[in-house]
Amino acid sequence: MQTMHLLRIISAVIVFTISASALSVEEGELAPHFNLPSIYPDKPSISLQELAGKTVYIDFWASWCAPCLISLPLYNDMYHRYKDQGLEVLAISVDNPVEEGLEFLEDTPLDFLIPSDPEGETAELFQVIGMPTSYLISPDGEVKLVHMGFRNGDMDIIEAAVKEVLEGN
Amino acid sequence: MCRFQSILTGICIISLLSGCAQVRPWERGYLARKEMAWEVDPLESLLNNHIFFSKEASSGGNSAAGGGCGCN
Repeated sequence: MQTMHLLRIISAVIVFTISASALSVEEGELAPHFNLPSIYPDKPSISLQELAGKTVYIDFWASWCAPCLISLPLYNDMYHRYKDQGLEVLAISVDNPVEEGLEFLEDTPLDFLIPSDPEGETAELFQVIGMPTSYLISPDGEVKLVHMGFRNGDMDIIEAAVKEVLEGN
Repeated sequence: MCRFQSILTGICIISLLSGCAQVRPWERGYLARKEMAWEVDPLESLLNNHIFFSKEASSGGNSAAGGGCGCN
């Protein structure tokens, strides 16, 4: 009887741990709101609510993540191609310390918005499943694409999804 | 006595479980740091590998790809 009771407690702890990690933001859900400071100290903070009505591509990156560093210049090209059609790109840096992210940006200047989330609060909010993970959000705030990792050919998938959302408006 | 032992075992197991921390994907940069390597000194690592390969008469297969980002 005692053993059964103990087993129940242990099972509850295990189930709680597993369920806590399975709450990631998925396609079709509404994107959670956030407000983060820019990685650049002289620039204003960035809020998802302020970008309502725009197609937003959010990417979580870090300077220690090799695929992230490959993807960012490609996102910069995509941003320039579609910004006139209403695309906004937010590349959220999870670098802690923040300076490590800034060091990368010194060598690779990017023209889109770069919020900084050193404590991972927004990453926690999205329940990011790996690095990099990106989210395509339609003007009405719905998550249209969740993309994990970055491999050869991924840019075609991402760009096709961006075009589809932009054309739908 | 038996009841006391069960409670004590339960407390020990729960304490051990609470010690397991899940490293979230955005925290994996800490694992990629140099000081987190099994062997911080590259020279010592080279020597240990040499000894291991000599003993085993084979080499390779002692590492995995990836920079700690959890994306592979």
